[in-house]
Amino acid sequence: MVEIKNPTSLINKDYESIELVSFSEWIEDSERLSKLGVGLIIEPGDDIYLIQNQLDLIELIALDFRGFDDGRGYTQAYFLSKRWQYSGEIVGINAHLDQLQFMIRSGITSYQLLESYKDANEEDYSNGFSLCYQAAANNNGLQLQY
Amino acid sequence: MYKYSEKDTQFLVERVDQFEKQLNRHLSGELDEDKFRSLRLRNGLYMELHAHMLRIAIPYGILSSNQLRALADVADNYDRGFGHFTTRQNIQFNWIQLPEIANLLRDLTDVGLHAIQTSGKATRNITADPLSGLTEGEIEDARPYCELIRRWFNLHPEFSWLPGKFKIAINGARLDETALRIHDLGLRLVKNTKGELGFSVYVGGGLGAAAMVGPETASFVPVEDILSYLESAMRIYNLKGRRDHQKKLRIKFLVRELGAAEFSRLVDEDWQQTKDDPELKLNLKELHNLKEDFALPIEPIDLKGFKDQVDFNYSIWKKNNVRAHKVNGYSIVNISLTKLGAAPGDATSEQMRILANLADQYSSSEIRTTKRQTIVFPFVRRDQVFDLWKSLEKYDLASPHQGTLAQIVACPGRDYCDLAKAVSIPIATRVQERFNDMNKLLDIGDLNINISGCENSCAHHHIADIGLLGMQKNGEEYYQITLAGETLHETNIGKKLGPSVSSESIVDAVENIVNVYIDNRKNQERFTDVFKRIGIEPFKEKVYG
Repeated sequence: MVEIKNPTSLINKDYESIELVSFSEWIEDSERLSKLGVGLIIEPGDDIYLIQNQLDLIELIALDFRGFDDGRGYTQAYFLSKRWQYSGEIVGINAHLDQLQFMIRSGITSYQLLESYKDANEEDYSNGFSLCYQAAANNNGLQLQY
Repeated sequence: MYKYSEKDTQFLVERVDQFEKQLNRHLSGELDEDKFRSLRLRNGLYMELHAHMLRIAIPYGILSSNQLRALADVADNYDRGFGHFTTRQNIQFNWIQLPEIANLLRDLTDVGLHAIQTSGKATRNITADPLSGLTEGEIEDARPYCELIRRWFNLHPEFSWLPGKFKIAINGARLDETALRIHDLGLRLVKNTKGELGFSVYVGGGLGAAAMVGPETASFVPVEDILSYLESAMRIYNLKGRRDHQKKLRIKFLVRELGAAEFSRLVDEDWQQTKDDPELKLNLKELHNLKEDFALPIEPIDLKGFKDQVDFNYSIWKKNNVRAHKVNGYSIVNISLTKLGAAPGDATSEQMRILANLADQYSSSEIRTTKRQTIVFPFVRRDQVFDLWKSLEKYDLASPHQGTLAQIVACPGRDYCDLAKAVSIPIATRVQERFNDMNKLLDIGDLNINISGCENSCAHHHIADIGLLGMQKNGEEYYQITLAGETLHETNIGKKLGPSVSSESIVDAVENIVNVYIDNRKNQERFTDVFKRIGIEPFKEKVYG
């Protein structure tokens, strides 16, 4: 079990801490776990379609972005946020600073950086862009240019 | 042609600022090699055998003369005075120093050029027929659609970290100059029985070790729904594509494993959920604006009574290099950069500036690049073609090779690329030396020879009449021969002739193949038609017999 602390101001609900279970634990025992108000960690290879009809039972969903080149989390975030209108928190965990802009626009509502970014100087990272060329789950206040 | 707006330029500047920060972090040791590799590739930057290679996008192969001059400046200021036009209509510079990249890219933003997504596991430059908008009988000019789709997948948040690279080609003509069915995704503009415009979609084509012609996944997607369909195709690929095996990353492996019918079904199922989303509809107002941006810059002119110059060399060049234009009084001129011993597609900074100046004088300041690594002047007055030829000849750019086998397509090969197994350019040179008689070349006619130095197939050898693939055998360079690949009328992957042939014997083998073709063809029969009629055996007998 992992404890996630409120990582940034992006969080719009005020979780002090929430118990997280793995995807397989949830699939095996969702009826019991749903009564405990747990959150769910989804790995890139987990079949997100399996929880499509259970979203109301899940307090928070954490998507794992550890693999820098593994883009499945962005589609998972899109499904939760835009397609299925999940109303709970979608946390991008093990996030990389260079990829935050993609994660946020794909629909995550908060994030927790990988430990290795603990001492990172934010000025060394990009502020992102002033416009975007496509509609996405979250246009993030950017001017649409398409 | 389309010009970047101030906002577009601002976006390019922001992208350079972002990449500069990433570069600085890498140079200071803060950003590790793996992550930097992923980020630099998305900015077109490769680490090659001797230096860094930077690939600049030429969207759907269209350049203004000012852009070409800016590329010439890059060649002089940051490289060794030349650039290399690629088979995907882009340009590469092979001798770039890492600390200078940001300044180089910043210089290019002034003319709306960039290196975004010219490499890496994302949507690459979209390619199109270099004659888009210029010829009679076209179904629709593909360029406005290329631009809209290019924009949409520019740093797309959901699809920027795909399992593998994703190449799209769009064709609006009846013949396929784009080779769309060997792309990860090919779009063919079509009209349905009601006369409405849409796209036929082909997914999972590709070259390389498992060459495959992309199956059709949708026969008609209405124009306004194309973005949502493309997103669905990429979404299925992003979720289900192979990420566990370096050689199976491309979408063709997913399509092959699932079967085309199942892949199409999954895409369609997803698409049904999004096709009515107003945010994903193609912006028809912007499409209209783009059609105006792409309107031809010429009006018909009456050249009744005009008689072209009579000159033997000029007429040979004209026969091979000049095509009819749909606008009265104009021609399309193809310029070959092929030089003996130089890499096909190489152009010096001086040549780039000469071409830019000539384009200003003769072609409404527009230049196009082709997958055969040539340059097209799209708007030349018929009564100025001779003057243009004289100028090209003066600068040694009037090679009449276009449409002959001497117009060889070759990748940089082992001379420059650390992936290559064998050399490409020296083989091209030897073939050109063997066939150096213009009369013979004209007699042979339009015959493609493409040479790739490894299975990555950068020179598209699978779709050439004669394809050569470099490989290593007991430490020696050998070449596998494939015959009768084509894409223009239908798409066929070339058939393997037999055992690979040594470097020493490969030019003899090519000559033997050409001779079998000449001896067997009837009238103006194309190589692929002769091959279909007589089969592979006569070629085998001559090469191995």
